[in-house]
Amino acid sequence: MRWIEREERVRFNEVDEWEMAWHGHYVAWFEAGRFSLLEHFYLLPRQMVELGYIAPVINLTCEYKHPAACGDVIIIRTGAIKPDIAALICKFEILLKDGGKLLARGETRQVLLTKDRTMIYQLTGELEKRITAMVEYCAGE
Amino acid sequence: MKDIVNNTAELCEYLKGLVIDTLRLDDVTKEEIENDAPLFGEGLGLDSIDALELVVALEKAFDVVIEDENVGKTAFASIVTLAAFIQAKYKDRE
Repeated sequence: MRWIEREERVRFNEVDEWEMAWHGHYVAWFEAGRFSLLEHFYLLPRQMVELGYIAPVINLTCEYKHPAACGDVIIIRTGAIKPDIAALICKFEILLKDGGKLLARGETRQVLLTKDRTMIYQLTGELEKRITAMVEYCAGE
Repeated sequence: MKDIVNNTAELCEYLKGLVIDTLRLDDVTKEEIENDAPLFGEGLGLDSIDALELVVALEKAFDVVIEDENVGKTAFASIVTLAAFIQAKYKDRE
């Protein structure tokens, strides 16, 4: 998978009483990673709306491998895979910048709705073109 | 596949199996799915995400395209309407 990467630093308000990054913040980091990926392919939320679509998340998984601590610099890697259904599937890995240890791994699934909230079952037109470009890019080495 | 499509009773049986397999409804048997009972909501209790998976399975099995939820609502009303939908698509092709 070819990833789009971005860095974040774990803030004081993101760690819990046990000095580990709180599990819920990983979802926010996934979101930041997804934004970086979608930006490259003109698929940001407002650009989707311009095309006539919205893409709510219907499924999210996260496996926690190692805790992050306050001040750690993390790398958020995001990629997209070819979906078996008319959906958007993003993959995530979060690593420690120093040493590259894997902290967490996850996935989100988004369905595609028209502005009047009708779910689409087939990708067509400009939306299909942009999603295909993103998936093909990510499928590279 | 054309032989199955032409035989409504056989097609309905096939579709029940397809629904069970695609949506991994392990605790449901073909006999429990009534031909004219609603598949979504009150009937079998399927949701809009299940529909999306069914669309892909139907496309693979019958090479029929269901464009969106609006078309899906009619097609997925029950096993009988789904069978009729597929039969109509086959008829269009002839």
